[in-house]
Amino acid sequence: MFSLQREHRKVINRIIRDPMKPDPHQPHNNNANHSPPSPEVAGDRLSGLILRVAQRDREAFALLYQDTAAKLLGTALRILRDRGWADDVIQESYIKIWQKADQFQPGRSSPITWLVSIARNTAIDELRKHPTGRTTTGEELDEMAGKQATAQEQLEDQQSVNHLNHCIDQLEKDRRDMVRLAYLNGWSREELANHFDQQVNTVKTWLHRALKQIKRCLEP
Amino acid sequence: MTERDELDMLVAEFVLGTLPASERDYVESRRREDPEVEALIQQWEERLGRLADEIEPVQPSTALFAKIEKALDRVESTPREVIETSSVVALRNQLNRWRWSTAIASAAALVLVAILALQPQPEPQTQSFVAVFQHNDQQPAFLLTVDLKEQRLNIRPVTAEPRPGKSYQLWIKADELGPNPRSVGVLGNDFALDEGALRSYDPALLKEATFGISVEPEGGSPTGQPTGPAIHGYLYPTDRNNQ
Repeated sequence: MFSLQREHRKVINRIIRDPMKPDPHQPHNNNANHSPPSPEVAGDRLSGLILRVAQRDREAFALLYQDTAAKLLGTALRILRDRGWADDVIQESYIKIWQKADQFQPGRSSPITWLVSIARNTAIDELRKHPTGRTTTGEELDEMAGKQATAQEQLEDQQSVNHLNHCIDQLEKDRRDMVRLAYLNGWSREELANHFDQQVNTVKTWLHRALKQIKRCLEP
Repeated sequence: MTERDELDMLVAEFVLGTLPASERDYVESRRREDPEVEALIQQWEERLGRLADEIEPVQPSTALFAKIEKALDRVESTPREVIETSSVVALRNQLNRWRWSTAIASAAALVLVAILALQPQPEPQTQSFVAVFQHNDQQPAFLLTVDLKEQRLNIRPVTAEPRPGKSYQLWIKADELGPNPRSVGVLGNDFALDEGALRSYDPALLKEATFGISVEPEGGSPTGQPTGPAIHGYLYPTDRNNQ
């Protein structure tokens, strides 16, 4: 299923587009400037906005939302697969961002990672507490394989080598897929165990090995 | 594995997202109290963060931000900071004890294995719920079943054994009940507990609540709060026919 990648990408993209894409009639509220600034500049801008939010600056909060809401909604939607549910999670996430902004440490966290982590944690907490709210489908696997290729093409900053992708590529195939399904789609140990036809404990062991391998690989 | 390695893996899985709800809660509570845990979380978030590069942005509706601003107005109008600064220390200490910091090394032992039916209906018809309390990865210690309609509970040991001079005590914790767990009852010698002990609680609250079982001095906790090591779980519907 995973080896289909490029050949099937177009088809897969079409299949998955429906719930994931914005309503084309919806006015876009992102910046008029469509050529993205380099990640560093964008990162500095986001860090600056978060620091202002920590000072309870509502204007900065609105700007931060404008710049990041689409990414965070994409993150939550991919995990929850329900637009209304994801909207609720995004609302909760931005309230948390407002409340936790003073804990953001620009030296230790990249701003977009910090923001995405808040949305991911909120979405995954929701999912673990209400596991019956979502169904997992085989399409997610196709989607994952398909998006992997597009993501590489779309990397905004080609010069910034994505070491993580390199490290993940070195994992055994099943473990690679497990890591990606867990991180991107919010699959639990049980869901991974069902899909890969393994005991939950085996999945846990594999995940731990994969995570350790990634950690070693990323060490300077 | 050393304790530190175990903590690192617990945090890694927390960031990856694969921990069960009970262990996620545990890591969340520790990160608030332990800067080392917070630092480990940040490190793992940074390590795995680039995985999010490939997430396609989805434009939110214009109505969403208006909703968020309204919610923010509500949050801002409640005197949250007063509460936080005045009682934060006491609150954390109680939370700490409830989260069994004594059981840190065996945090991985708090696994709650409930094989969940993935049901398309968010509200299954069933009124029967079960929580599994585990001592380790292999064997459940207790099974708690609750009939929400009749508000009847039944608790039975699976591998748990009577401990001389000690009693097991069942607790309930929910946001609506305040920051502290409340005692549901002390289990008798035969592990029996009054089946009506949950009658005063709203079924909706029971569904969201965390249940804990702690080991206490004989006859129950002397302080009214859990004092010994505890395990906990949530209720899950037992009926798989609605799939």
